[in-house]
Amino acid sequence: MNTSKFVAKRLGQLVLVLLGVTLVTFLVSHVVPGDPARMLIGQRADEQTLAAMRQALGLDKPVWIQYLNYLWGLIHGDLGTSIRTQRPVLNELLSFFPATVELTLFAMGFAVSIGILLGLLSATFRDTLTDHATRILAILGVSTPLFWLGLMALLLFYKYLGWLPGSGRLDPLINPPTHITGLYVVDSLISGDWIALKSSILHLVLPSLCLGYIQLATIARLVRASMIEVLELDYIKTASANGIPRSRIIYRHALRNALIPTVTIIGLTFGELLGGAILTETIFAWPGMGKFVVDSISFLDFPAIMGFTLVVATVYVLINMVVDLLYPLLDPQIKGVH
Amino acid sequence: MKRILVLALCVFTLFGLAGCAQSANTPQTASKQDQPLVIATSADLGSIDPAVAMDNAAWKISYPAYDRLVNFKGSSTDVEPSLAKSWDISADGLTWTFHLRDDVKFADGTPLDAAAVKFSFDRLLKIKKGPSDAFPSLENVTAVDKNTVLFKLKTVFPPFLSTLATNGGGIVNPAVMKHEKDADMGQNWLATTTAGSGAYVLAEWVPEQSLKLTVNPNYWGSKPKLNTIIIKIVKDPSAQRMALEKGDVDVAENIPVDQLKELKKNPDLTIFETPSLMVDYVYLNTQKAGLKNPKVRQAISYAVDYQGIIDNVWQGNATQMRGPIPNGLWGYQPDLLQYSRNVEKAKALLQEAGVNNLTLNFMYSDRKPWWEQEAQIIQSNLADIGIKVNLQKIAYAAQREKIDKGDFDLTIGVWSPDYADPYMFMNYWFDSKNFGLAGNRAFYKNDEVDKLVRKAASINNQTERIELYKQAQQLIMQDAPYVFLVQKKYQLPMRKSVQGFVFNPMLEDMYNFQAMSK
Amino acid sequence: MELKYYRYFAKQYPLTVVGTLIILIIGLVALVAPLISPHDPLQLHLADRLLPPGHTYLLGTDEMGRDLFSRIIYGARLSLAAGVGIVSIAGIFGTVLGSVSGFLGGKTDLIIMRLMDIMLAFPSLVLALALSAALGPNFRNSILAVAVVKIPVYVRLVRGQTLSVKEKHFVKAAQTFGASKVWIISRHIIPNCLAPVMVQATLGIGEAILIAAALSFIGLGAQPPAAEWGAMVSVGRTYLLDQWWYATFPGIAIFITVVGFNLFGDGVRDLLDPRFRH
Repeated sequence: MNTSKFVAKRLGQLVLVLLGVTLVTFLVSHVVPGDPARMLIGQRADEQTLAAMRQALGLDKPVWIQYLNYLWGLIHGDLGTSIRTQRPVLNELLSFFPATVELTLFAMGFAVSIGILLGLLSATFRDTLTDHATRILAILGVSTPLFWLGLMALLLFYKYLGWLPGSGRLDPLINPPTHITGLYVVDSLISGDWIALKSSILHLVLPSLCLGYIQLATIARLVRASMIEVLELDYIKTASANGIPRSRIIYRHALRNALIPTVTIIGLTFGELLGGAILTETIFAWPGMGKFVVDSISFLDFPAIMGFTLVVATVYVLINMVVDLLYPLLDPQIKGVH
Repeated sequence: MKRILVLALCVFTLFGLAGCAQSANTPQTASKQDQPLVIATSADLGSIDPAVAMDNAAWKISYPAYDRLVNFKGSSTDVEPSLAKSWDISADGLTWTFHLRDDVKFADGTPLDAAAVKFSFDRLLKIKKGPSDAFPSLENVTAVDKNTVLFKLKTVFPPFLSTLATNGGGIVNPAVMKHEKDADMGQNWLATTTAGSGAYVLAEWVPEQSLKLTVNPNYWGSKPKLNTIIIKIVKDPSAQRMALEKGDVDVAENIPVDQLKELKKNPDLTIFETPSLMVDYVYLNTQKAGLKNPKVRQAISYAVDYQGIIDNVWQGNATQMRGPIPNGLWGYQPDLLQYSRNVEKAKALLQEAGVNNLTLNFMYSDRKPWWEQEAQIIQSNLADIGIKVNLQKIAYAAQREKIDKGDFDLTIGVWSPDYADPYMFMNYWFDSKNFGLAGNRAFYKNDEVDKLVRKAASINNQTERIELYKQAQQLIMQDAPYVFLVQKKYQLPMRKSVQGFVFNPMLEDMYNFQAMSK
Repeated sequence: MELKYYRYFAKQYPLTVVGTLIILIIGLVALVAPLISPHDPLQLHLADRLLPPGHTYLLGTDEMGRDLFSRIIYGARLSLAAGVGIVSIAGIFGTVLGSVSGFLGGKTDLIIMRLMDIMLAFPSLVLALALSAALGPNFRNSILAVAVVKIPVYVRLVRGQTLSVKEKHFVKAAQTFGASKVWIISRHIIPNCLAPVMVQATLGIGEAILIAAALSFIGLGAQPPAAEWGAMVSVGRTYLLDQWWYATFPGIAIFITVVGFNLFGDGVRDLLDPRFRH
């Protein structure tokens, strides 16, 4: 199958996925009590006002027509209006998107770099102390409740040591840097805003390390496994027999091949990080999409919850598609196998 | 080689962009006057359109940005002239004539005249969202001449003057119609911006992060001392506390009572404390079989450990309510019956009612953080007299809907008056016309009470009204349709340097910025 | 002989043994919670609220003056129930769907697998959050939501297994003798898939407990006054700066329990999958 066909197929699947999700959430949201119209009008308004508001919102129509209306809006890039903030959901999500991306990218950078390093060390020095330590670290990593880890980090580094800030993206008195990408670190670099740069990096440390730590372990384990597999392959053994130095074998030959499966993992990790961002953002009061959706839940703000779910699913599917497309580029052997 | 080229290209692009972009932060040593007042709040803001906004978080922004015909005076519940220099009432109490100041301009420089007043109220009534509830009897508004405006009422409505001082009574610049979309009367536009004549204008709003108010250059009153006000949205109470202690913020609104104790030890801080008119009370659904009998409701009122709630949930920062009208509002009766915990009496009442094995649902939401604690205490209190209570936590939106439909046994709420009149309590809570969310959330019906509160709402004589409300309150206490829990104390921790703050119980979580300094 | 074997095992797989011990201890604690907890986990002592760890209250008290130690002991019941409940529900539904999908093939297979693809298009916490927000926040619904999210794992596993079992002689023979599809699936296919499903379920308990606790932390799981660990951390968060013990101890309980299951699962995987063997 060629690339364009593959992309078309995956995008087709994405549409199906989104349809399924909207349908389910939409139906369920109409069963739960919590009338959006009632949240908009005053609590002392009469039935007529309520009926008028329901009509204005299209809530008086049968559910399936409402659903079609929602889909129609969706096609036109309209995710509905948030019940809680009364602003368009798409605008809200877009305004929180960069914060989440920034957090996730930093967490990913941390998890991938340290994860690969640890995996490499533990494969190279198999069955040594390093290897066992990595293994235990990995198990502890996947066993730590992310929300609790964040709280403990706050307690230690924010309350007792006072080294790092504990909430938000910037100190309260610092203005956000000029908006270019929405990623504060990048924006403040571009505009030469050193005050904002320092503050935004400091604010990123705790949340991104906590978020990344959980995934780091998984990555280390996978790199280790695939490294070991590669090291067992014939050509590596041959190279080794031919007297090529071990370090060169590991870094020139083995690592490159071992990283290929890791790329797939990065795609999947991104999804886990997006999920984890819900918890991290809540704990560190990080103004991203995850915090937005948690705030929306107690309001039964279904347009917001649905919008969030759709955006995350889309991002997740797209990233994994890109990863799948990169795959043959990295590994000539599997070109065109899809 | 290729990689280096790409890298170089990236660097060039970055610096190219840097040339266009400006740094938002420059190291500065600002003079004292220029230092902004920074307030930390946890509340998200919805629309700040005066005709739409219903919560104090939004009013915090819109109240100082708009002017009203009258204002609440200082910390009292009386009103004083503002845009209206004076007013006359017709003999039948139905026609009110207001004489406007002639020196008032909107922030954009256009004059504020009678037509703008008419426009604002027409707009409010046409949009018909929450804020219009405060004007149930308003028939129409006419601009007689440039500085005279006439309000016609359908029925006598004693709190009318007070309602004009509410946020919904803010006068909006008719120029907003230029931004009308889909016949929304500019609602979309005004949701995130201000168009009034008040001391401040909204200069910047970064959603979920901060809002900045700056002085209105065309303000008609005396020039405010603070040039800039920054409202920082800091969700986490602990972060608010740290920021306050470090001096990053001057006022922190959402520090839990538990932590205020710690803050009192800090010499740089002061905690502003005053009684508020916000009450916290439990609704007993009087239409439900188990709660129909007043004796059962009295038993519940006797079972609750009011002192325990005050000491623990409120850390002593609240007082027990005495009847529906809070202390501080006229109509309060200092000698009215007040229930207190008496397990024996409660058990005896249940026995008289012939009730045993009663199971009730207690519904609450996380709208107010203390509800969960109060619900758990009441659950344990009622267990002491043999009533089993199941707690049911639901989303706020669902709670509202269920209250409106009467689909609950027990639930909890807070109430604070929008205007200074016992009408806000007596007629909303007890008139059987107001069943449901409107106010009578206990679905309470007593013909005698109906008669008394309706009579009190139809006359302008305050002494007579107090007497009518007193009789009604005595009947109500016997019927115990609500458990009257506590009247909250208003507490606001701030830096000692903050001066001039005046709290008005009608304007909770709002500030008199124009008179404050730092 | 027996003892010697255990000793060998303990030496070869020390972590697995530690994991097994942790699970056994937590299980025992859950079982005898009423006997060992010093206080009633739901009893309020308003005068003793937010006390630090001490003699009367070993791990301190919460904002209602309840004993944290007793609440953590009782919490073991809820977390174990959540973990086991989730993998059981997901395992059962996953096995049925997977075997039907694999055995029948064709359109049924296509539809089921498309559905699973849809579900896999979400990070698990995101889907669990959306589902449990929609179902309404309570403990049972949060378990259901996480279980639903975990179904595709089992469907894929069982479907693969079914495809290979389907080709075996005894299945072919049963088909020739006119056995009904239901009979074949329930008598031949499912029994042959049970072993891998059980392994997968064991591996999944730790993660299941974590996701369920995370939902409780967000407020979508167990509701007060239930002594659930995630919910306790969530309330304790409000008091983090002054009462460090409140959020800390329930979190440690989650951590240890999940470590137990993961060490155990890791050992099981090691035994079964030579690729990971040392």
